[in-house]
Amino acid sequence: MTRFVERHPAWALIVIIAIAVMLWLIFAVWPPGLEEAIGRKRVFLNALFNGITLGGLYFLVASGFTLIFGLMRNVNLAHGSLYLFGGYVGYAISASTGSWILSFIVAFILTALVGVLLQVLVFRRMEGQDLRQTMVTIGLSIVFADLMLWACGGDFYQIQTPSWLIGPIELPLLTAIKSSGEPVYLRYPLVRLVILLASVIIGVAMWLALNRTRIGMIIRAGVDDRDILAATGVRIQIVFVLVFALGAGLAGIAGVVGGTFQSLSPGEDIRFLLASLVVVIVGGMGSIPGAALGALIIGLAEQLGSVYIPTYAIVVTFLIMVLVLAVRPQGLLARR
Amino acid sequence: MDSVAQRLSVVGAGAALELRGVTRLFGALAALTDVTITVRPGERRAVLGSNGAGKTTLFNCITGDFPPSSGTIRFFGEDVTHFPPYERIRRGLRRTYQISALFPGLTVQDNVYLACRGVSRGRFSFLRPGQNDALMHATDSLVQAVHLSAVKDQRVAELAHGQQRQLEIALALAGAPRFVLFDEPAAGLSPTERAELVEILTSLPAHIGYIIIEHDMDVALRVVESVTMMHNGRIFKEGLPEEIQSDPEVQELYLGGGHE
Amino acid sequence: MSVTHDARVHARPATAQRPAVRGWPDINNPAAWIVAAILLIMPLIANGFFLIEIFATTLILGTIALSLMFLAGYGGMVSLMQLTIAGFCAYMVAVFGASGNANISLGWPWWLAVPMALTLATIFGTLGGALAVRTEGIYTIMITLAIGAAFYYFTNQNWAIFNGHTGINNVSTPHFWGVNWRSDIPFYYIVLAVAALCYFAVDYIARAPFGLALQGVRDNPRRMAALGFNVNAHRVAAYAVASFIAGLAGVLQVWNYRQISPGTVSVGACIDVLIIAIVGGIARPVGPYIGALVFVLLRTFALDFLVKIGLDGNRFRLLIGLGFLAIVFWSSDGVIGLWQRWRQSQRPRTDRPSGGPGHG
Repeated sequence: MTRFVERHPAWALIVIIAIAVMLWLIFAVWPPGLEEAIGRKRVFLNALFNGITLGGLYFLVASGFTLIFGLMRNVNLAHGSLYLFGGYVGYAISASTGSWILSFIVAFILTALVGVLLQVLVFRRMEGQDLRQTMVTIGLSIVFADLMLWACGGDFYQIQTPSWLIGPIELPLLTAIKSSGEPVYLRYPLVRLVILLASVIIGVAMWLALNRTRIGMIIRAGVDDRDILAATGVRIQIVFVLVFALGAGLAGIAGVVGGTFQSLSPGEDIRFLLASLVVVIVGGMGSIPGAALGALIIGLAEQLGSVYIPTYAIVVTFLIMVLVLAVRPQGLLARR
Repeated sequence: MDSVAQRLSVVGAGAALELRGVTRLFGALAALTDVTITVRPGERRAVLGSNGAGKTTLFNCITGDFPPSSGTIRFFGEDVTHFPPYERIRRGLRRTYQISALFPGLTVQDNVYLACRGVSRGRFSFLRPGQNDALMHATDSLVQAVHLSAVKDQRVAELAHGQQRQLEIALALAGAPRFVLFDEPAAGLSPTERAELVEILTSLPAHIGYIIIEHDMDVALRVVESVTMMHNGRIFKEGLPEEIQSDPEVQELYLGGGHE
Repeated sequence: MSVTHDARVHARPATAQRPAVRGWPDINNPAAWIVAAILLIMPLIANGFFLIEIFATTLILGTIALSLMFLAGYGGMVSLMQLTIAGFCAYMVAVFGASGNANISLGWPWWLAVPMALTLATIFGTLGGALAVRTEGIYTIMITLAIGAAFYYFTNQNWAIFNGHTGINNVSTPHFWGVNWRSDIPFYYIVLAVAALCYFAVDYIARAPFGLALQGVRDNPRRMAALGFNVNAHRVAAYAVASFIAGLAGVLQVWNYRQISPGTVSVGACIDVLIIAIVGGIARPVGPYIGALVFVLLRTFALDFLVKIGLDGNRFRLLIGLGFLAIVFWSSDGVIGLWQRWRQSQRPRTDRPSGGPGHG
């Protein structure tokens, strides 16, 4: 961090100013002139929180994607299919048992199982041929998409939010002060905050697992230099299978999350595949913190964009990607 | 530095290649540390040293494959430190690779033709070369010079190892080279092929200087007039071939201790 | 690095079986002459439906896939945005030319609108390429797919130029010299001429310095730089060429359907182009056209076929996906590769050297 400040003082200044402005926008009561210029503070805060929670969801999808890519150089273009599959499984479980928590567990296990099968039956046969693996994942995404369309049809599904999470809660953030002088606080859906919290916990847990456990160290060493893995005599196949299972399982969990606060339908697989791609390109391929940063940036850009420049929201996302590629092609937090 | 080394190191504008304080880091590992070398135009020099001494990294810094972390590189007086590889090549620098870096999907002729085209105009030409294309003639004579005429229409992937090494040299001699870096050209060659290699190297025009990395002393010391010893990424000793051969420290470090 | 390696393995047979003589390809191949003759007299054989829905569509899709083949087979760059470039060009033809959406279309005559659209599409593709070559290998797929998907979502959102998800309808087609060039037979010949032009151009460039250098970049970019080539400039230039080809196909596509909408540039359609090129064989220019024919035939007749063998007719995508997987599993050179292997197994003692030393 200090090295970054030393090396790019101008950039550091811009970042600090941006953060300061952001904090002011969040905590201060907006003066009337600002409200006239860019609308009500409640709208802004809502977009901001939606952006952050969407970022949490994107992180869940993209972290699995980036982990698999980082270790195996396998661009899993069927990752979106795993997301959608997890979502459908979660819907089926929660609809039949009524348990939201159980739907997460089952979705994780089943998608992880699909991941294991893919790794054992398909990708192990073509190790090191990343182009061919990518082709296979493309073929698989088509097959999966059609199978799921066959099984679930083209309808929209939404997973029932459990009753104890329904409804908004009041956050200690001022949105406005009424003419009577009474402060108005931001009300925000509880379920989204819980999901955000959960993704932060998962992210931290993954980071800890990668940095503090032996298997995590092995995986990280493998991300940096795959030859090391073979040299250390680790049962590399088991590591691969584990990582694939974890990455796929995360996509499955994300599917349940997405199915709860958005909806599930054919085409969502592509949407979340694209989100993973952009998040990972922006954040840095193979890096978990990079995925977190990228997810936050893209989530915020998408939500703030759709509020303030609705016709060009996707362009903002895209321009961020272009900018990152132009300035730092390996991604913001990638090592190389 | 002894007097011979001083005589060899002609400092200033007359140098073909001049490295000043070149350091290359890979992460925390220093592959090259503060390397300063001056080579006259037309000078032929061997770089010796055990594996991991930094010889190939030295080449990569000179050609720009990996730019140096610090230090400057001048080529015929021009500061090329921050030039991309292709700009250095267009100024007359050439190199070969330790592990043949050829185009296996293309024929021998196409490989050499690309090398000729790379240092001339029309790299982006959409017109196929005609029968009287000057570069086609240049290609043919180069192919002949490295004794590959018989296989010129074969794909490189089908060539024998020795032939690939010869093609490797041909690629480095295309156009008008002024200075060539040979990275273990004799690796894996038979005795006959080594003799041919020595012949090719010694019959190069006098104005073409080169640096050669070579483990085979028979080859290396027959084709050079000066020697640089490297050890652990540093210049260890410079001198005439005889001096280096008889230097006790060098023998201790390198010639005596078995090498690959 | 490794994608170029993969692509090299893919592409190897192409140059292997190419005669060393720098002449026109297949000039001694009777099969090629027969195919050319059949294509020329096709309007005598096929009726309007087959002529346009099967053959013209095949040639248009094949040309888009050809632009991918040029990048992937010769340059080792697998771009998933070729359809996006074609679609962009199609949109531009609709925007600059005349259409049913008078508030969007500028109403230029086709001979102005088409060059304009081609220029813009080439610029668009070149910029995308310049972005993609910032990184190497497998990243290209991710970046170009992101570009394609971003364009798809953008066309959906934007009403000022792209008219949102309805797209632009009733795009006018050229009428001159008293001929309606969109009527079946003239249109077929236009498509055939453009496809032939692109095919021969790609084949010619492959043996010209630019194409050879591109193959060098595919095989060993580092060595190319050490031979004096600006590798990234070559890659970007290849994107420019491929974009122009894709743009030409895009013009034909919008004339064919007389409308363009986001559905045409969807992510699935982008991936279809890759499937076409891979299924046909990515090593030589004829591959994409074979792949396109297979694809179009499947798309048109799979429903009837599936129903006939007692399956759900809607499982066309499943069929495509499984077929694609099979090709990826068993042949690195698409159906051409399969065909050649079969032919070689029929003639065990051919004069053709088989493969040479195995690739590393």
